[in-house]
Amino acid sequence: MPEEAVRFAVLQLSGCAGCEVSLLNAEEWIERYRLMYMPLVVSAYDVPPVDILLVSGGVRTDEDLYNLRRAIPRAKQVVAVGTCAISGGVASLGDRDEVRQLFLTQPERRHVPRMLPKCHPIDAFVEVGRYLPGCPPTPELFMAALLDPADFKASKIVCQECGRRKVRDLRPEHLVGLRQGEVLPDICLINQGYFCVGSSTRGGCRAPCPRGGHPCVGCRGPSDVLIDKGSTEWLASIQRVFQSLTDVPAAEIEQAARSPQMALFLFQFSDYAGVDRPPRPKEKVL
Amino acid sequence: MPTLTFPLSRIEGHAQVTIDVQNGRPVSARFQAMEFRGFEYLVQGVPAEQMPVIVPRICGVCSTAHHVAAVRALEDAFGLTPPPLAQTIRELLMLGQIVQNQATSLFIFTMPDRLGVSSIFQADSAAADADQGIASRALRVRRAGTSLISLAGGQFIHPIKAIVGGVTSGIAPEAAEVVRGEVEAALGLACELFDIYWEMSLALRDRIGTWGDDEPACYIAATGEDAPRYTDDTIRVMCPDGCCHEAFPARDFRKHLDFVESEYSYADATSYRGQVIRANSLARANMTQAMGTPLADGYLERFRQAFGRPAHGLLLFDLARGIELVYALERALEIMAGPLSGEDTAIPYTPRDGDGYGMVEAPRGPLIHHYRIENQKIVQAEFVIPTVHNMLAIERALRVVAARYITGESINMELERAVGRVVRAFDPCIACATH
Ligand code: SF4
Ligand code: SF4
Repeated sequence: MPEEAVRFAVLQLSGCAGCEVSLLNAEEWIERYRLMYMPLVVSAYDVPPVDILLVSGGVRTDEDLYNLRRAIPRAKQVVAVGTCAISGGVASLGDRDEVRQLFLTQPERRHVPRMLPKCHPIDAFVEVGRYLPGCPPTPELFMAALLDPADFKASKIVCQECGRRKVRDLRPEHLVGLRQGEVLPDICLINQGYFCVGSSTRGGCRAPCPRGGHPCVGCRGPSDVLIDKGSTEWLASIQRVFQSLTDVPAAEIEQAARSPQMALFLFQFSDYAGVDRPPRPKEKVL
Repeated sequence: MPTLTFPLSRIEGHAQVTIDVQNGRPVSARFQAMEFRGFEYLVQGVPAEQMPVIVPRICGVCSTAHHVAAVRALEDAFGLTPPPLAQTIRELLMLGQIVQNQATSLFIFTMPDRLGVSSIFQADSAAADADQGIASRALRVRRAGTSLISLAGGQFIHPIKAIVGGVTSGIAPEAAEVVRGEVEAALGLACELFDIYWEMSLALRDRIGTWGDDEPACYIAATGEDAPRYTDDTIRVMCPDGCCHEAFPARDFRKHLDFVESEYSYADATSYRGQVIRANSLARANMTQAMGTPLADGYLERFRQAFGRPAHGLLLFDLARGIELVYALERALEIMAGPLSGEDTAIPYTPRDGDGYGMVEAPRGPLIHHYRIENQKIVQAEFVIPTVHNMLAIERALRVVAARYITGESINMELERAVGRVVRAFDPCIACATH
């Protein structure tokens, strides 16, 4: 490894470690980069000065916040990796009154980090140079973020990477979804009555989900056209897609679009940026 | 009273060990899980059928186990039995999880302890010539697990192919062929690395003078009696002397296991009739008759000759993981030699309300998801996590090393390494344990 190899670190806040596992699958960095800190695989007690700091997970506890604030000044560039770091991710499902009530019933604990009232995206506290969405981002996307992001070529939307054909003679009347058993190969999932949002989701993941027969739930977030817009525009665009390919009533689409597994991912750049702040600039999103 | 604190690395998630010392003697050892997201609360009100997508996010290391457990819990609630081909594809998926996890635990988490380095990515510069390439070989083995997960699960980390009633589709022969080649190559590498690992473990035993001298414990697993199966419906418990067994279905877990909440950790702990239990690789190695594949059976025989049955030494968890790694690669090759498409992979279904219990044997032990469904939404969810079964066993073992290395006059510097070895032997997963 060259002496001047890029030095990078991975700071894991409250998340599932899936982002780290994905990075481990991107083996190419091993020969070229110096991994200075990543508790999952390296025993080192503190983040040293680095060129790139990847941050995964959301800010859920006071300890997360402390670790984040301490690490940031030691990095030349900060990348927010994965939905949790960008929007709070799956923990945002807890951002509802009835769930907050349940959290309050937790027993009193000592000597453990204190929970903040909600799970925050990291840019609620620190400046972020680049966003790498995905739950988790694929190894290919990790490599692109670490190497030269400008060189990375991705399709605009997941549909273009999926390879399933949209057909005219198959117009479902309802979203029957997975209840119908086996999925037909090669034909667009929307034609088959699934609620797939690949048409408005940014490409770059190579569409593993719809290829595997499961509708895209939009973990990469909205495509560039929609990224800085709020959820209302996104909902309208989804309605248009389903109107042109199906006869499913608009109310059914609306309900599916507002369901929890969609809320996890879709508005990660706009709605979750917080009311008092503008959407994240799309130039910063890989 | 001074407290020694040991932050932990090379395990999944945020945890630390604290040992209180009084008058030169350790008086307590605590294993503290330091994170919490509250999945049992987060999923309240979620449409039940979305659970297989949401719950893998409990943990990116064990996502496959959660994905399959969720699907099985819903099938239990809806009264469904998936077609045989779906069961086979799910087995392949679980084998991928075992390969990925055991390769990670052995080579990335614990091998550095045997090499005396802080990470495997430094191993090649530190170790002798003969060990060159350990990191890249280890990653190739691990990668075979990932490829199996992608092949059978569609997605490489949070899989999507298991659906209520089966799996979305079969596996095309060409796709299987590519992964078969990778797995075959990985099997050779895995055996090579495991042999090195075994030698290193012997050297470690010689240096520290023990395989881990904690007392025997009960063992708990949800794998088959004659060969490992990772999607069984029965949990079994083996008593410390290995003679008596008890078996019960997943839905009865509360009748047999006691749960205690901890005030210093975000994870609970379980016990069995007041006794300490151990789950994970050693439990499975102790409880199965045989592995059922040639190379793995060879290793198991060697293991039993050296350590008896049941084996109790803590570091034997790691060796048992190696046997399973070899087994999972061999078994995956067997499955991929047969057809994986051309039959039904899923049945249509109508959802209904009620209770559902879904179990799998995850890399760390029996994992149970229990959902109560009303109006097609989750009103109650319980996640019974394998690492939680090991909590009392981890703390008991920590007290043993604390007593060994803290003496009236001094603290042996080996203590910190010993703490790391004890915890890593159990391969705890903190994201899961606290969920
Ligand atoms: S973004 Fe997804 S994969 Fe990454 S830590 Fe969060 S839940 Fe896990
Ligand atoms: S297909 Fe959709 S859900 Fe799947 S990885 Fe890509 S963006 Fe995420």
